[in-house]
Amino acid sequence: MIAFLARRLLSSIVLVIAVSFVGFVLLALASGDTAQNMLGQNATQEQIDAKNVELGLDQSIPVRYGLWLASAARGDFGRSWFTGENVIQSLASRLPVTLSLVAGVMVFAALIAFTLGSVAAIRRGKIDRFVQIFSAMGFGMPGFLVALLLVTLFSIQLGWFPATGYVEPQVSLGGWLSTIALPIIALSVNTIAGVTQQVRSAVAETLQKDFVRTLRSRGLPERTIIVKHVLRNAATPALTVLALQFVGLLGGSVVVESIFALPGLGSMAIRYTERGDVPVIMGLIVLTVIIVVVVNLLVDLAIGWLNPKARVE
Amino acid sequence: MQRRNFIVSSVAAAVLLVAAPALAQESSRLVIGTTVEPRSFDPAQAQEGTQIPYYQAVYDTLILREPDGSLAPMLASAWEYDETLLKLTLTLRDDVTFTDGTTFDADDVVASFAHFAEANGPQVNTVASVKEVTAVSPTEVLIELNEPDPAFLIYLTNAAGFIASSESLASDSLITTPVGSGPYTLDASSTMIGSRYHFVKKDDYWGRDLPYDEIDFMVLPDETARLNALRSGQINTAIFGSAASGDEAERAGLTRVPIEVDWHGLTFFDRAGTLNPAVGDVRVRQAINYALNRQLLLESFELGQGTATSQIWGKSSLGYVPELDTAYAYDPDKARALLAEAGYANGLDLTIPVTTIFDDATLVAVQQMLLDVGINAEYQEVPLSDFFGELRSGNQAMTYMWFFQPTDWQLINQFLAPTATWNVFDYADETVAALSERIQTGADEDRAAAAQELNRYIVDQAWFAPLYRVVKQNFVDDKTTVVPQVEQSAPSIYNYAPKN
Repeated sequence: MIAFLARRLLSSIVLVIAVSFVGFVLLALASGDTAQNMLGQNATQEQIDAKNVELGLDQSIPVRYGLWLASAARGDFGRSWFTGENVIQSLASRLPVTLSLVAGVMVFAALIAFTLGSVAAIRRGKIDRFVQIFSAMGFGMPGFLVALLLVTLFSIQLGWFPATGYVEPQVSLGGWLSTIALPIIALSVNTIAGVTQQVRSAVAETLQKDFVRTLRSRGLPERTIIVKHVLRNAATPALTVLALQFVGLLGGSVVVESIFALPGLGSMAIRYTERGDVPVIMGLIVLTVIIVVVVNLLVDLAIGWLNPKARVE
Repeated sequence: MQRRNFIVSSVAAAVLLVAAPALAQESSRLVIGTTVEPRSFDPAQAQEGTQIPYYQAVYDTLILREPDGSLAPMLASAWEYDETLLKLTLTLRDDVTFTDGTTFDADDVVASFAHFAEANGPQVNTVASVKEVTAVSPTEVLIELNEPDPAFLIYLTNAAGFIASSESLASDSLITTPVGSGPYTLDASSTMIGSRYHFVKKDDYWGRDLPYDEIDFMVLPDETARLNALRSGQINTAIFGSAASGDEAERAGLTRVPIEVDWHGLTFFDRAGTLNPAVGDVRVRQAINYALNRQLLLESFELGQGTATSQIWGKSSLGYVPELDTAYAYDPDKARALLAEAGYANGLDLTIPVTTIFDDATLVAVQQMLLDVGINAEYQEVPLSDFFGELRSGNQAMTYMWFFQPTDWQLINQFLAPTATWNVFDYADETVAALSERIQTGADEDRAAAAQELNRYIVDQAWFAPLYRVVKQNFVDDKTTVVPQVEQSAPSIYNYAPKN
């Protein structure tokens, strides 16, 4: 286990460096005139040139990346060029927002998907057909469209939920729930659709296995067979899909966070990339890679716990 | 019975838990939905326009600009130029304290100006004419200029006029923690930088008693989110970027507070015809003006929200001439005649750089109107991040653009003077130079006459082909009133009040 974790750590470091380098180069090539954006349309060329020197943009890309990497290795990711905030503080304040959104989606979607998928596979017939139709529809509904529909109905017309903004749970639990509910629902639809199908197929396949027949022949209650044995065996592929969905959710949160004005990493990614705020975007890239690596590791460990055959010796 | 009471109590508690944030909003609070956040609370980095209210909350300016554009005392209780217009003496208040406990005096003004000039902020050019700033006494400052600057007092009402405690200027903490003398303080515990800024009124503020105990800025870059927030009552006011959003807000029962601060249209950089000889011919530029049906464009694409115009001067400026709004009435026949006279009876080609923020339908319509008189205008798409650099590269003879309408002297230095930011080819004109000098050094009456004469000349020479001045889509809810601020994209925070 320790060797496994050590290998993962080493590969993660390599991954962070590789992704950050590619990201840095792409940002450098695509950022346009950051100094002009900071100074406004009436800035003179002298002002722009001075700002470029101040920001280090007059140096070559490899030199700039090297300086950034050396600084980042010391834990210094600098300050945002457009808000002045320390990058780590900025990411730290926004990470809980996105995590609460994505984690909420994962939990909500897993509960719904496992329930629907299991019921569909066990009961078959009309329920199964309904679930399959629902899944197909869910796949076809873009998250932003669901978000707009929800906000129009529940926030603007009914006034049941706030249309925008985020309340931290430590400030008000009820406020937090009210601000996160609609974004979670909006972002869950695609995930539920995908995971439901996966659970349905896995459960249906597992139910056909010999060991289930054996368990039934021993007189075990059907509920026990389903919960303790069938779902456990069917969970592995579903968890894998959920893990993949997690990465997609990080990207999907971008639009939903913008619509609901949630101050998370997704809305930050759009806004700061548009402006060419290199320190923040680089910090975001590193953080995202770390999150993906950690989530994949947790999923691998969970799968290993559920299925001893999948454990790494 | 006990079980029922328990259930009722639990439900009531749950309702209160969810409703608590809403119930807590009964204090006197103004919530402004905005598209931008301040880059830094260092006043040297202050950007004007929609960012100004952030700074007004925590800093005072040397001079206050009233909503109608007139000047009023603020940190400076009085000011006077000498007869050369090169020395400005400010008399300062002696009863103002910064949030760090230090007392405001002339040394803070001297330090602020020095810092402003060194920091290379967005508005550093506004102090370009400053030669020296001297503290004559704790309550008197002498500002010496290199040359007369008719806009200088206006600058002291804006970014260049924000005064921070001199003790704070050297510290990086000023970036996120303002140290000013303004009517509010930033509540860091309720602020999330880049998302939400919370200001609390000072009990001991020396100046005007503003009506709101708290002011929040919610950063909502997405126009849909901003509109939803205003419609659902989460914010009290917002500015929208499009007439269509404004139309939707109006239909939702919100109140538009109109002001015209920007103009949209064509700017001709290559007045000497260096890149494109056609653009250097005044008859061609005039023909382009006559080819454009401004009123139709305004009605079709801005929903009538604005005023068709042929001049770039704003209504609040000295040089504004009402009849110049219709100087180039739509006349495609005259446009063709002018083109023929200039030797382009068979048509000509133009390249116009454009970018994503411009409305495609407007651009297509403009292109069609030009084609109707024989001008083939080809749009060159430039990414927004590169757009301004491309315009100033010297590779473009003209552009479609939106520009702010500043005061007369600012307009000259931004568009007309050989060194002007948007005089890309450094085009010099004797008439412009002579009239500019009168505006720079003349008495007020002569200044106004010279500005109007300059405006007429620029329109006649067709240095620009403006389409219209657009109405800023500023909206308030039914709990709020606001007076728009002249020559400013967003109202000053002093201009808001609850509706009684």
